[in-house]
Amino acid sequence: MRLKNRTAVIGCALRMPTKPDAESLEELLFEVTQAALKDAGLTIDDIDGIVVASNDQMDGRAISVMAASGSVGGVGRDILSTPSAGEHAFVMGALRIASGQYRTQLIVSWSPTEADSQAEVERIGTDPYYHRRLPLDDLAAYALQATALAAKAPGVHEIALSIAGRHGANDQTSTGPAFRRWPLTHEMTPPPVTGAVALVLASEDFVAPRGGRVAWVRGMNWATETGFLGDRDLSTAPALETAARGAYEEAGVALPRDTIQVAEVSDPTPYQGLLALEALGLSGRHEWASDVKSGAFDFGDKLKINPSGGVRAANAVFCNGLIRIAEAANQVMGRAGGHQVAGVRTALAHAASGFAMQYQTVVVLGQDR
Amino acid sequence: MSNTRVGIIGIGQSAFRARRDDAGYPDLVREAVTLALSDARLELDDIEAVVYSLSPDSMVGIGNAERLGVDAVGARNKRFLRINTGGATGISSVAAAYYHIAAGACDVCMTAGADKVGECGDSQTVLNKIWDPTYERALPLGTITMLAMSAVRYAHKYGMLQEDMAAVVVKNREHAAKNPNAHLRKQVTIDEVMASRLISWPIKLFDCCPQSSGGGAIVLASEKYIKERNLDAVWITGLAHSTESYYLGDRMGVGFTADHADAHALGESFQRAYKMAGITDARKQVHVAELYAPFSNTEFHAIEAAGLAKPFETVPDLRAGRFSLGGDTPVNASGGTLCTNAIAVTAMIRVAEVALQVRGTAGGHQVKGARVGIASGNGGDHQFFGTMVIES
Repeated sequence: MRLKNRTAVIGCALRMPTKPDAESLEELLFEVTQAALKDAGLTIDDIDGIVVASNDQMDGRAISVMAASGSVGGVGRDILSTPSAGEHAFVMGALRIASGQYRTQLIVSWSPTEADSQAEVERIGTDPYYHRRLPLDDLAAYALQATALAAKAPGVHEIALSIAGRHGANDQTSTGPAFRRWPLTHEMTPPPVTGAVALVLASEDFVAPRGGRVAWVRGMNWATETGFLGDRDLSTAPALETAARGAYEEAGVALPRDTIQVAEVSDPTPYQGLLALEALGLSGRHEWASDVKSGAFDFGDKLKINPSGGVRAANAVFCNGLIRIAEAANQVMGRAGGHQVAGVRTALAHAASGFAMQYQTVVVLGQDR
Repeated sequence: MSNTRVGIIGIGQSAFRARRDDAGYPDLVREAVTLALSDARLELDDIEAVVYSLSPDSMVGIGNAERLGVDAVGARNKRFLRINTGGATGISSVAAAYYHIAAGACDVCMTAGADKVGECGDSQTVLNKIWDPTYERALPLGTITMLAMSAVRYAHKYGMLQEDMAAVVVKNREHAAKNPNAHLRKQVTIDEVMASRLISWPIKLFDCCPQSSGGGAIVLASEKYIKERNLDAVWITGLAHSTESYYLGDRMGVGFTADHADAHALGESFQRAYKMAGITDARKQVHVAELYAPFSNTEFHAIEAAGLAKPFETVPDLRAGRFSLGGDTPVNASGGTLCTNAIAVTAMIRVAEVALQVRGTAGGHQVKGARVGIASGNGGDHQFFGTMVIES
């Protein structure tokens, strides 16, 4: 279903990796907010509403959005919070503009690394009776998904190793065991970094008199898998297929591989990246080996996958999905800096959150409305 | 401005209790969903998107507990996200569902959630963790001590007595006695409230909301969907939010940004919602109000923020029965948050109760002839405020 009013990304800012000892959370959020506003050519006085996403367990605060209200300029303003995922803040902001009640929205999310154990933080998110005692964390869930995928797609281990080698090791100094969670190697699993991201969204009537290059939200959809891994076929990604189908339909994209110039895909490990490519209709499992071997997505002249380096270049766990959207928007706006791809008219962002990519979100951004 | 009218077509709420040993957390969510779907005469397959209503994860002891609620709300492979603005979460979730429909993303959206505050151990220990670990957490602050300071300031500024606070309790318990879903339904006298155990001066035990377990769900739909199917609906005609600072210290002392006696941002939020709904004189145009007030003293400044009375008038007006069932503008005819507080859905129940009132199906606590109602929710450290106008 097409939204009633058009929404555009008009400014983005990324801060990662940062040094958490060098600045407080409030300082980080203030900086990323001000940078996004500056990128959009606005001040906080131009912002009608704010949507924030944060994770209580990672922050060590209950209702962690509270701490942001001052530093994101929220006092006296309308704030909503989507703790389910960073990318859900984008969805909510876009819906608010499309509703016609708002002209601008500020979207902010962050991901700290101050917890003693990221794995324990994630384990608290499991159900207390079945999964918690396994014990389950994000890496274990990704490993289970990798194993399930390998059972259905022989040869995927070799492809995953090839991808990990091509993109460089993120943890080469490790002297630990080869596998962090079998079959995931250190090279496949980037360590968490502190990061923050902010975007400014605006309505068509706000954008029109200002001019300038913006990234229009041409298609957006989101869907969820069930919470229990045992109820899912982890070798597939039906919620992502649903999300992609809806976003493509809204954007009028019939042949995504031919239409999209840049795709920012959530790839916390190569296995999830491959599974996402398939569900997004960009590369089926029968094409993975040849696409990876030929470097089609790295060096080809049609579609570039993750010119930012993806999650494996910087793993700001909770806001990775929103970062993918910001990176795709920057590509469309021509403001991606050193990794800008020339001539991007249409870009795709894929965001995934939760155990084994439970929440799936797809956003198609373009120069044309 | 949106040209899509959004209506409420289904309401479900648990009979709230201190404990629900018979139902797990997702079971409570499903209970409310089943009731709301039955009320709307819909099936789970009719729901296109879900907004999950859950405040602090730590209250249910599961991080991102909404993930385990996906099946309870029938959202597998559907649009799903969670909202959390603390105690305001419930009304913020209704607002989020409203935006789904007003944006044209879908025609039918459900919001649902549940809480087991009565079974969390000690909610004040959890809620102390909302404050900054370096500055205000160590005081130690809790939501009771936070609003006890507001009571002291309000009493100093406007002359409220502890007996006036007790009068709010007496009124709301009388209302709750008529509401089978309310948690605290036993009527009390001013003397009994005054004699109840001191919790944080001047707040006594009976001035406090209970820790409740139960669920809530509301189904919203577009005007097109409602008219095509000839469904009964009430309409959300105004909605807004506003926010205070995080640090309580910013609301006190020299150079404060807002006075902790009052509910400044709640007033801002109401003004925005009224503007959207075309309400220019709330005192004359609003027939019923469900205002989030977890402690007796906070009902006074909520009434003022809603524009139903001016400061200094609120206390005598309440004593005169203006806000009681049968009075000019009944406030918290359900018994309100003071008698039921399952935090994740408390502010949603405020919306649900107003919807029932303007629909004319509130039962024993129905306000006769109510056509325009207002609801509010407060979250964080008296920080996030959501408001809504609902009309028949």
